[in-house]
Amino acid sequence: MSYRNRELASLVAVGVLTAIGFASVYISLKSQLSAGSLGYAAFFFALYLAAHVVARLTVPQADPYLLPIAGLLTAIGLTEIYRLGPRDAFRQGLWIVIGVAAFAGALVWLRRDYRVIESYKYLFGIGALALLFLPLAPVIGQTVNGARLWVHVGPFQFQPGELGKIALIVFLAAYLREKREVLAQGRLKDWGPLLSIWGGSMLVLFATDDLGSALLYYGIFLGMLYVATARVAFVAAGLGLFLVGAVAVYRGTPHVRDRVLNWLEPWTTHKVYCPLNGRMTFRQDCQSYQEVQSLYSIAHGGFGGTGLGHGTFTTATGRQVIPDLRTDFIYSALAQELGLIGAAALLLLYMVFVLRGFRVALVASDGFSKLLAAGLSFGFALQTFVIVGGILRVIPLTGITLPLVSYGGSSVVSNFLLLAGLMLVSNRANRGAA
Amino acid sequence: MMAGVLASTRLAEVLLALKIAFLVLLYLFIWRIVRTAARELRTPHQDSMILTPAAAASVGLGAAAPPAPRAPRLVVQRSPSFQPGHEFAIDSAPLTIGRAAQNDLALAGDEFASARHARIEARRDGVWVQDLGSTNGTYVNGARIEGAHRLEPGDVLRVGETDLRLETKARRGAS
Repeated sequence: MSYRNRELASLVAVGVLTAIGFASVYISLKSQLSAGSLGYAAFFFALYLAAHVVARLTVPQADPYLLPIAGLLTAIGLTEIYRLGPRDAFRQGLWIVIGVAAFAGALVWLRRDYRVIESYKYLFGIGALALLFLPLAPVIGQTVNGARLWVHVGPFQFQPGELGKIALIVFLAAYLREKREVLAQGRLKDWGPLLSIWGGSMLVLFATDDLGSALLYYGIFLGMLYVATARVAFVAAGLGLFLVGAVAVYRGTPHVRDRVLNWLEPWTTHKVYCPLNGRMTFRQDCQSYQEVQSLYSIAHGGFGGTGLGHGTFTTATGRQVIPDLRTDFIYSALAQELGLIGAAALLLLYMVFVLRGFRVALVASDGFSKLLAAGLSFGFALQTFVIVGGILRVIPLTGITLPLVSYGGSSVVSNFLLLAGLMLVSNRANRGAA
Repeated sequence: MMAGVLASTRLAEVLLALKIAFLVLLYLFIWRIVRTAARELRTPHQDSMILTPAAAASVGLGAAAPPAPRAPRLVVQRSPSFQPGHEFAIDSAPLTIGRAAQNDLALAGDEFASARHARIEARRDGVWVQDLGSTNGTYVNGARIEGAHRLEPGDVLRVGETDLRLETKARRGAS
């Protein structure tokens, strides 16, 4: 079967999965059998069919599994968002349409040779920094939950850091391809870029109190540096610098200190001071309330899950148990409703996506393409790890989105652009090999 | 009343069936992709040109090659810089390989080769290759070499993205 026919077959499977997921949510919410839910599946199938046709015309030799996996992840995400609040699902559906449009636009624009963007590398570098610092701008910047990473313009609000991630990866791929030789020799003066990016990411961390993005940016930088130079010493030195920075931030920022405390000791047996209401309470009732409730939610799902639409996310009075369930904590909602089996399958989907991405990097023929594909895949993997690891208490929790699944427009659009990048590189690599 | 109870048990059954169907299909989807990936790993297209020592021996390029064989040369198998089949004769002078223009084998289009990557030298006991501290290493039959390494006839040398095979026999058809 040709690449695109395989993609079409996989998309049909995704359509069936979406139909089943929506049907079971719909039946549990309305307590009746109805074909109304199939409208959503049809909508999704039509949307991905459109994306598939664009891919068929522009990147016929691209990897056939990237689009179906991404489609399945967004479908699972939207199903769960619909289950938590049908109104949000409409907005998210709109964002997915915009994301697919951006995906198609990128494919059409760069179908001949995406490597033209290599010559604009400094534009991408400056763009990444500008996007990163945008939330700090006085009028449009907005602080949500102690981290300043939102930009508010009229009715729109978005997280520019999400798009900044893509711009940073493009810049690093172009920059490292040019400088990898000198960097690999490891002379002291060549450490300039490493140190300045380390400083920049720490500065952003200080200024926005946003641990998640700083970790993501810095991790992407180290990962791509390793791919470019194959020097483990650089990664070790980079991790050392990160630890030094992390300790300094821990000492200096109460917000970060709270996060670490919530991570190490979410439960207390005696009452501690609660800065939220100024009284003495158990920590699980105050700062670490969100994490602890999320852990209970996952535990409640057990092995097989409660079933889509049957989870418990509100109290008897209708109050939502876990704050930010649709965005940062959607993984714990899915883990409750799909159980360990389903949550494992979700993580497997991410792993398979990353596997395909790294394969693209392996078969790509030139340095820029290899670095770009490796960077995009690694960024995707690291973001998933940072949020899922945070929820499961592997690392301190930092609020970033679960790629393609979480509620949030900027995240969906930027991850569709990431998908477009991987498919463009893959198309060129496979065309060269054939 | 009775009908309501019946309906709700039926709904529960339908939901259970949907849940199982969802999970089974999800795993089938993943399995299908992983199976394809595994199949691709088994036949790596980029290593197909490499001859193992055993394969080299079976086509008559014995490991115990006599010293100073006739007209040793490197034949390009795959390279961004040269056409496959292009030959470089190895004589008494050492041959340097790298991306820089002053090399005897200048791989200008090979981004994965270092400026001075490796040196080829014909000694009394055969042809030797030495890595010159390259970034991505020098490979013989797919294995990275450290320091100097003696090449057997039929060995495939990889520098960056360029594969070169050592040949000592006269050209096929001429013998």
